[in-house]
Amino acid sequence: MTADHWGFVLAAYGLAAIGLGAYWRRLRRREKELDALGQGGRSHPASGAGHPRSEPASRTPRQ
Amino acid sequence: MMRALGWLAALGLAAGLVMGFGVAPRELTQGNVQRIMYVHVPSVWVAYLAFAVAFVASIAYLGRRAAPADRLAHAAAEVGTLFLGITIATGSIWGKPTWGTWWTWDARLTSVSVVFVMYVGYLLLRGMVDDPERGARFAAVLGIIAALNIPLVHFSVYWWRTLHQPPSLMKPGGATMPPVILAALLVNFAALALVGAYFVARRARLLRREAELLA
Amino acid sequence: MIYARRAWAVVWKDLLVERRSKETLNALAFFSLLLLFVFQFALGPDRERLAGVLPGLLWLGFVLAGLLGLGRTFVAERENDCWEGLLLAPGDKSAIYVGKLAGNLLLMLAVEAMLLVLFAVFFNLDLAGVLPALGLVVVLGTLGLAAVGTLFAAMTANLRARELLFPVLLLPVQVPVLLATVKATEAVLAGEPLGAVAHWLQLLAAADVVYVTAGLLTFDFVLEG
Repeated sequence: MTADHWGFVLAAYGLAAIGLGAYWRRLRRREKELDALGQGGRSHPASGAGHPRSEPASRTPRQ
Repeated sequence: MMRALGWLAALGLAAGLVMGFGVAPRELTQGNVQRIMYVHVPSVWVAYLAFAVAFVASIAYLGRRAAPADRLAHAAAEVGTLFLGITIATGSIWGKPTWGTWWTWDARLTSVSVVFVMYVGYLLLRGMVDDPERGARFAAVLGIIAALNIPLVHFSVYWWRTLHQPPSLMKPGGATMPPVILAALLVNFAALALVGAYFVARRARLLRREAELLA
Repeated sequence: MIYARRAWAVVWKDLLVERRSKETLNALAFFSLLLLFVFQFALGPDRERLAGVLPGLLWLGFVLAGLLGLGRTFVAERENDCWEGLLLAPGDKSAIYVGKLAGNLLLMLAVEAMLLVLFAVFFNLDLAGVLPALGLVVVLGTLGLAAVGTLFAAMTANLRARELLFPVLLLPVQVPVLLATVKATEAVLAGEPLGAVAHWLQLLAAADVVYVTAGLLTFDFVLEG
């Protein structure tokens, strides 16, 4: 009766797979970069905002 | 640990595909296009779950200033945005054969896309604050406001697109779903939730390593 | 009592600065007039056609003026190096938020009143009958806009891309307020009673409560440094 539109189903699943895969690859690439920089001192500028203090739970504000 | 989670997620995805394409029958009215639902609907659930995690982590960060909470909020918001993007893309692809158009201002598509741009703004803010400690504080505040705003967005968009007076708060149609389809939805939800958890854990670890390197 | 006096001190300071310099209000009044011109030019002079989109245009004007006005909330503190003054204020910092919010509310309502008069003149609106209902919608909507706007203005005040980031953060959050106010304004201008839009007013009130509460509770963290 109704058309099946397998092309659309394929496109939807493909797009979802590409989205998840691309994110996974981005994570892995960044980890590789970090591994490479391991002892290099300065980080790559592409890194996002992280938290500099490795010691948490300090209630005092900056400065 | 992380590796095991990753394999579990991959296994879940395979099971989800089997449920969605093998076990679940061809839907009578819509045909096989309906199978898009098995990725579309669970991914929006996972996205909202991730935003809930980001909300709780934001509150925890403001309460105790613990850096791990900030990293969890950051990772969860990012992964939630990814899943919401998948939701919108697959919804749009489903809409073309079903409604005949890629995009309509349907209530649910609209509200989901409003939430999407809200969290894109959150990630933009994350990237634009130089001082990481201040960025964490601001992002936590925005994460709280954005999460509190989600119900308001949903109600307003729902009323905007439907009747003058709201008929009921619950979406209709949930009760008539056949158990096989519900089971396929739930399996896919579990699979995508595992993928989301895996991504969040890995992203948070990446953030920690970056922070350690900068320190 | 002391809390209210602290909030009032902030309002009074900003009002005094504004009264002496008049820079924000003057510029915003002129901006409102320009908006009217732009709307007319962009949409053509056909009044019948414009009547349908009037509530949307009105709130577009309010929001654009709000983005400019609210974005300047902390300009005086930043440019005159008085940020530390705010930080050093004793006691609960949320009093500063209340003061800034009240000041913004006054400013926005003044600009919106001007814009309404301009709309009434340019589009031949008869506002006399609907003014109380319209006023209620405008006040509820403006409170929501100003509550989030004040918080975000403090957040973006010291960032590099503040002019860009402020609207980018504020607009998506304001979608519920915008939908509710436009729909309610539409109904009010069409002469419907307020009861017909009660659910929108409830949504606006709920949004106002949520935003103001969140602002009060989180402002301390925003101001810190």
